[in-house]
Amino acid sequence: MKVVLEHLTKIFPSRNKKDKDAEVVAVNDFDLVIPDGKLIGLLGPSGCGKSTTLFMISGLQAPSSGKIYFGDDEVTKLAPENRGIGLVFQNYALYPHMTVQQNILFPLQNLKGPNRLSKEEMLKRANDVAKLVQIDEFMNRKPSELSGGQQQRVAIARALVKMPRVLLLDEPLSNLDARLRLQTREEIRRIQRDTQITTIFVTHDQEEAMSISDFIVVMKLGVIMQTGRPQWVYDDPANLFVAKFLGTPPINVFKGRVEGEKLYIGEEEVLGVPGADDREVYVGIRPEGFLLKKNGKLSCKVSGIDVMGRDVSVVSTNENSLNPVVRSIISSDEMGNISSDEARFDLKSHKVFLFDSETELRVYFGEQVAAHEKMVAEMKEAGQYYVHEGPLPREADDADRHKTAEAPKGFFAKVKSLFTKKPKKEKPAENADMGSENEAPAEGEVPAENAETPVEKSDTPAENAENHEGEAE
Amino acid sequence: MMEKTKQPKVPLTKAEKKIRAKAIFNRWKAWLYLLPALAILGLFTVWPIINTLRIAFSNGYQGMLEVNGETFTFGIENFKTAIEVSGFGNALGNTMLLTVITVPVSTMLALLIAVALNSIKPLRRLLQTIFFLPYVTNGIAIGMVFMAMFNMIAIGGKAQSLGIINGIITAFGGSPIDWVGPNSSKVANMAVLILYIVWNALPFKILVLLGGLQGVNKQYYDAARVDGASRWRIFWRITVPMLSPMIAYVVITGFIGGFKEYTSIVGIFGEEMGPYMHAHRLDTMVGLIYDSLNGNFEGEAAAASLILFLIIFAVTMINLYVSKKKVHY
Amino acid sequence: MEAENMEKIEETSPQPETPRGMAEKDINKTARAQLVGKIFVQIGLYLFLTVMAVIVLFPFYWMLISSVKSVAEYNALNPTLWPKQFVWSNYADVFSAEATGIDLGRMFLNTVIVGVVSTILSLIVTVLSAFALARLEFRGKNIVFGAMLATMMIPGELFTVTNYITVVNWLDWGNTFAALIVPFLVSVFYIYLLRQNFLQIPNELYLAAKVDGTSDLKYLWKVMIPLSAPTLISITILKMMGAWNSYIWPKLVVGDSHQLITVGLRELASMFSVGNNPNFPVQMAAVVLVTVPLLIVFICFRKYIMRGVSRSGTKG
Repeated sequence: MKVVLEHLTKIFPSRNKKDKDAEVVAVNDFDLVIPDGKLIGLLGPSGCGKSTTLFMISGLQAPSSGKIYFGDDEVTKLAPENRGIGLVFQNYALYPHMTVQQNILFPLQNLKGPNRLSKEEMLKRANDVAKLVQIDEFMNRKPSELSGGQQQRVAIARALVKMPRVLLLDEPLSNLDARLRLQTREEIRRIQRDTQITTIFVTHDQEEAMSISDFIVVMKLGVIMQTGRPQWVYDDPANLFVAKFLGTPPINVFKGRVEGEKLYIGEEEVLGVPGADDREVYVGIRPEGFLLKKNGKLSCKVSGIDVMGRDVSVVSTNENSLNPVVRSIISSDEMGNISSDEARFDLKSHKVFLFDSETELRVYFGEQVAAHEKMVAEMKEAGQYYVHEGPLPREADDADRHKTAEAPKGFFAKVKSLFTKKPKKEKPAENADMGSENEAPAEGEVPAENAETPVEKSDTPAENAENHEGEAE
Repeated sequence: MMEKTKQPKVPLTKAEKKIRAKAIFNRWKAWLYLLPALAILGLFTVWPIINTLRIAFSNGYQGMLEVNGETFTFGIENFKTAIEVSGFGNALGNTMLLTVITVPVSTMLALLIAVALNSIKPLRRLLQTIFFLPYVTNGIAIGMVFMAMFNMIAIGGKAQSLGIINGIITAFGGSPIDWVGPNSSKVANMAVLILYIVWNALPFKILVLLGGLQGVNKQYYDAARVDGASRWRIFWRITVPMLSPMIAYVVITGFIGGFKEYTSIVGIFGEEMGPYMHAHRLDTMVGLIYDSLNGNFEGEAAAASLILFLIIFAVTMINLYVSKKKVHY
Repeated sequence: MEAENMEKIEETSPQPETPRGMAEKDINKTARAQLVGKIFVQIGLYLFLTVMAVIVLFPFYWMLISSVKSVAEYNALNPTLWPKQFVWSNYADVFSAEATGIDLGRMFLNTVIVGVVSTILSLIVTVLSAFALARLEFRGKNIVFGAMLATMMIPGELFTVTNYITVVNWLDWGNTFAALIVPFLVSVFYIYLLRQNFLQIPNELYLAAKVDGTSDLKYLWKVMIPLSAPTLISITILKMMGAWNSYIWPKLVVGDSHQLITVGLRELASMFSVGNNPNFPVQMAAVVLVTVPLLIVFICFRKYIMRGVSRSGTKG
């Protein structure tokens, strides 16, 4: 099922309805086409509106404006139960009082009329899907008796059992420990391939998104920054934000300038940049874009060397670097070229990205121009080309957006707030679709915390269980 | 320790004395702070537990006589008299009946109101306040209002006012019923009583259940909506199980309160525990205890209160047992 | 194209899901049905709540209007829903001792005295105990606290018999305010409530105060009490409500001169409803006088009362 989002916008009204400035634009004029049968990762730092987008697709939150299509059907006004979606919540939201089997059966038992299945069919369906996600042996357990990874799979099974047109996953791996995360993301990939259901998942972990998505959508402050195949976005970031957000270790950013088609970092001329105009730039260099040379053009002070098997990471400093340290990854063969306290690097031109220091948009040079055009053509053909143009949303705006939404935190703040008179505290949060429905913001935090506790608790059993599985194999 | 004893005894300076005194004070100050509470608890809570047992098993105990130096023999006479007293069966039956009817009815109604309140936005606060009002009223006072509402007034055998409830009944074409008067039936009395007790019991239950509802993670409802569950199914399959600890709590406290029912009857029918000409028709267990006490039969009263305690204890245990099986925590 | 494919799938395997590739009309229909259903449910909810609210409020309404009716109007065969004429003298009659033989004014005063004194003393006792149980370390603390909690399980009726003997026969407090105040000074539940509240206050504050040489009591007064004010307010109000509503105990232990308002009210009711000359309006006026102060307190301190109650489950 193709999913199309047209001018999708979500504005959360401020707690005080009259205060227009306190409105939060969570998702801003969002256009996206998600091709049938693909796995899409919505990626961005927390608060970028990715979960809101997901909830709008699910129908749990109504968009302020814009349209949502599943295939050719406009579903914007349909309630979640009429959209035919499966949704996996960040905390799984498994019904704690039902067994695994009852959890999986629940969506089937809700079907009415001609869609109603016989009891046997329901059980068969539940068993099939449980086998698919490999939890069929736990059917009679309660969720609290399962590890985090198993709960996660139950949640996926519950979402899949009614054969949704679209599967939505909200931070599906964030509650798992690192090792389980690797394993589960492969699992998700496999299940998606097996079922061929269009799947959209939300994550703030770029590595996760890069590793399993067919396409990723990088978002910032409610605006799409760039979409495309993960590798393309990584190799050809459209702006400084995307470049900084993707990649571990993160990209190294320097202050630099272009003068006469030459790139300078500090006083050192480091690279020829044919076709680039003279200007101040940010220079992004991927860690793997450095070549350690005896007489390399960029000099850095070495502060440490991490050996990571085949590769070596040289940690150094440079006064023009905007990161605290410059991290470069080089092959161990080049190690001979390092003197005790100074490292000199040459740069691989396709790993060096220039961004205008004003707009932070990409400045292409040399061979990058042709490579970029080729990629754009390819992605346009796949219907996956989108790059944010125009000025980027700034963090400063973000601080403003959230100013009034802040709730008093901590015991003392709460106590203090009891003594300070709040003007018209009577009907505050009723209108807030975000978060819980409780009146006081401080109270509203509680359920979320509660919801997280069982997951945290189950971390240890998760490990144990996985260990056992490992032994069995 | 050893070193200390070896030290030669030098007279303590003032400062040292002060420090030592302070150390002693610090060791005991917790008890000092607790002293008033413990003294009062000891006299008015712990001692009564012991003493109630003692006098309940002292045959024919009457406090006044003990002052005169008489002693009483150990036995279960008091229990026998308490049970054999003419109204015991009636009182026990009334208590049970009231409890068994009012607790489920008020719990169910409170649950419906709480769920309804939880699913509306405008006017929620106002309605919440209204539903809490019966809690902050004097049970006796509003009992009198119920009496007035249901009462028919006849002066000199001539019917005067039918009372507002009968007024409403006749307006809808029914015939008036003597609810609380001399010619009323026990069923009618009970109906009024049940209505009043439910009315009185609602606020607390609504408050607790609403609090519970607001504590349920909203995600379960979102998940259920995505799963296509109807409102009805969400109510039975999600809300009720999620609320089951709260429901168990209000049911258990409801049973305990139900067995102690007394003032609501006094409010409507007065100390006679029944309509005019039918004193003690609506007597309850607690009513019996106070009757014995007023008649200076402390032994009997103690025995009756022990019986009541045992009943409450047993019912609570049964409740806990059932809820252990049914309640999801 | 896609719609056709979908139909094929539907033919082969029964798709329980919403119709795939459905026409725009159908979607609009579903959307409309959703909206209608939603509105319907909302109407139903409000209807139900309104009916229940009317039932809950009706006794209050009846009490208020009856209190200003004339006896003749009240006794008329067909009850009126709005008084034809307002007879305010009913309220004056409540207080005239000759008319009733019961000095209700005196009882109001008694109730206020008992309420205020017992609340203040009870707060002191509660704060001290809660402080010891929350902040101080001493041997036997858990046993004491556990034993205190255990007493909460026992119904109060069990204590009444012995307490009656203790107060009347031993202490000879019959017909004194002390008999009404002292036995109920300690509520284990309030101690528990306050202790939990105290425990939330970081211990570092206490230790810092100790380092500065602040005494316990000063620390209590300056830090703990202000920080626990909401709980203390809840306790105060519930305690006052308790005095206002208490019936059984005062009736047992004190006579008319020290009697509390609820008992007086009940006596008044018996006096005005029995016999050939019932006077319900005066009765209702008395009920209003007893009920309305509580309602006013509730409206002012709604938050604290509901907070305290939701955690207690006991009245007063």
